[in-house]
Amino acid sequence: MVENIKKEWFTQPGTNILAGIVVALALIPEAIAFSIIAGVDPMVGLYASFIIAVVISFTGGRPAMISAATGAVALVVTPLVREHGVEYLLAATVLMGIIQIALGILKVGRLMKFIPNSVMIGFVNALAIMIFMAQIEHIFGISLDTYVYLAITLLIVYLFPRLLRKIPAPLIALVVLTAAYLIFGSDVRTVGDLGQIERSLPGFIIPDVPFTLKTVQIILPFSLSMAVVGLVESLLTARIVDNATDSFSNKNRESRGQGIANFITGFFGGMGGCAMIGQSVINVGAGATTRLSTFTAGAFLMFLIIVLGDWVVQIPMPILAGIMVMVSIGTFDWGSFRYAAKAPRTDAFVMILTVIIVLFTSNLALGVIVGVIFSALFFATKISRVDVQTETVEDTIHYYFRGQIFFASIDSMMGQLDFNFSDADIVLDFSNAHLWDDSAVEAIDTAVKKFETKSNKVYVKRLDADSRKIVRELSRLNEQHLIQ
Amino acid sequence: MYKTLLLAADGSENSLRAAEESINFIDENTRVTILNVVGADDVKDEVLHGSQSGNVTTRRKEKLSQILDFYDGKGIIHEVVFKHGSPADTVVSVANNGAFDALVLGTRGLNNFQEMVIGSVSHKAAKRVTIPVLIVK
Repeated sequence: MVENIKKEWFTQPGTNILAGIVVALALIPEAIAFSIIAGVDPMVGLYASFIIAVVISFTGGRPAMISAATGAVALVVTPLVREHGVEYLLAATVLMGIIQIALGILKVGRLMKFIPNSVMIGFVNALAIMIFMAQIEHIFGISLDTYVYLAITLLIVYLFPRLLRKIPAPLIALVVLTAAYLIFGSDVRTVGDLGQIERSLPGFIIPDVPFTLKTVQIILPFSLSMAVVGLVESLLTARIVDNATDSFSNKNRESRGQGIANFITGFFGGMGGCAMIGQSVINVGAGATTRLSTFTAGAFLMFLIIVLGDWVVQIPMPILAGIMVMVSIGTFDWGSFRYAAKAPRTDAFVMILTVIIVLFTSNLALGVIVGVIFSALFFATKISRVDVQTETVEDTIHYYFRGQIFFASIDSMMGQLDFNFSDADIVLDFSNAHLWDDSAVEAIDTAVKKFETKSNKVYVKRLDADSRKIVRELSRLNEQHLIQ
Repeated sequence: MYKTLLLAADGSENSLRAAEESINFIDENTRVTILNVVGADDVKDEVLHGSQSGNVTTRRKEKLSQILDFYDGKGIIHEVVFKHGSPADTVVSVANNGAFDALVLGTRGLNNFQEMVIGSVSHKAAKRVTIPVLIVK
C-alpha cells in the first residue's frame, strides 16, 4: 500500500513536476476557450480545471492522466446554460458527479469493451467537428484584423514547436499576440466583449437553484449526457495513456474518481469535465508517469489564474479560435478516411452514423448510444447467420455448417437444409460451427429426425469438444449418429 | 562487417528498404537491434484502430513483420526494442548511448517545406548521431 503510494506519487518527481507545469500552461487557453463554448465566464472553466485536476490526482485510477474542463462536456451543456443559466450548470455538474460515482460502483468500466472502435472513431471525429464549428462565429465576418490574428496564431502553433518544444506553442501565441494587442490595439473582439467577468477565488457554494422536482427534470437529461460523455472520453484517454506508458489502470476507480471530481467541482463554481486526450499526451510525452504530474498541473494552474486573472478579459478571441482550430485538427482521427474505405461496411456505417447523430443533435452522448445500439444490431445479425454448404459425393450428401448455432441463428440454418432427399447417407459436418444452447441441440435433433423419416441414414460429424458435450447431455442422438 | 547495428524502423516501405540495404554491411555474426519509436500520435491511432484485446507488444511487432521476416530469411540475429517519445530525439539518444557500430534508417524524402513543418528524422539523425549513419533513399 505505502509502497504503491510512493510509486504512484514520487517516482521521478522532478520530471513529473516539470511535465505538470507544461500541462498547466497548455491548459489555460483551452479552459478559457471551452468556457466560451459552454457560454460561461472563463473563470468557470479555469476553476473547474484546477479542481478536477487536483481531485482526480488523488481519486483517479490512471496516474499521469490529465482531466479538466473539456470541449466534450462543454458542447453538451451549451443549451442548458443558454436557457437556464450557469447555476443550473453547477447543479447539473454535481448530479453528473453522483451519476458517475454510481456507474463506477456498478463497475461500468467493463462496459467500455462494448463500445466498438467504429463508435470511438465517430466520437472523436464528431467532437473535433463540433469544436471547429463552434469557432466559426469567432472567425468569419468580424474584421480583417481577426483573420490576421488567426493566421499568426496558426503559424505559431504549428511552426514554433519545431524550434522549441519545452514551452507549449499555444501559450506562446496567447502571450505574444495578447501583448501585441495591448500595445498596438486592433479591431478584434476580446474575451471581455463576450460578457461580464467576475473574478474571485473559488469558494464553497451551493448552486443557486430551487430544490424542486422541476429542477431535477431540467438538469437530469444534461447530467446523464455529461456523465456518459465524460466517461467515454476519460476511459478512451485512459486506454491511450495505458498504451503510451505500457502500464495498466483501474477503469472502475477512474469512473468513481471522475465522479468525485465533478461532484466537488460543482460546489466550487466549476463546470463539469473529464480526461483530455491532447493534454494527457502532452503530459506523458514530457515523461510523466505519476499522480504528482496531474496534481502539479492543477496546482500550478491555480497559481497562474491568480497571477494572470486580470489579463484574461483582454485576450483577443481570434487567438483562442486559432488554438481551438489546432485542437480540433489534433482531435480528428485522420485515419478515418482510410477506415471508411477499408473497414467492413457496417463498421464504416456506424462510424459515420455516430458523427451524423452528434452533428444533428449536438449531443455526443446520443451519438455514442445510437452507435453502440447499431453496432450491436449489426453484430447480432451477422452472428445469427449460419452458412450451410452442400456437396454430394456418390450417394452421400455432405452438409458443411459454418457459424454460431444458437437460438437466434437456428431459422437461418434450418432454412438452408433440403428435407426432400430419401434413401441416402447424409453427413452433417460441424467442423466450422459451434453449438451454444439447447435450442441448437434441439434443432439438430429435429433435422436428424426429419431426415430419418424419409429413411436416410444421418451422421453428425466433427463436433468440437464443447458442442459434443451439450449434445451428449441434451440430445436424443445416439453414438451411431455421432462420428469423429 | 559491422558487429552491432542499429536499425531505426517504423514498419514503412522506407524502413524495409533500409533493412534490405543493411544486408550489404552485415553478416551472420552481426547483432541487429531494430528500434521502433512509438510516438504519442501512434498511440492514439493504436487505440482507435487496433483490436481491444491481446498484447500491445505483439501488435506492435506485427507492423515490423516484413522486416523481421526479411532478417529471419537471411539468418541475421536480431532483436526488437520499443521506445516511447519523439522519433528523432529517441533515435538520436539510443544511437549515441548504445554500443552500436552504425545506425541505418530510411528516409521519406520530404521537400523543404514538409521538412520545416513535420521535421525529418533522418536529417536530425545525420546531424546529431555520433556513430556512422547510413541513410537509405
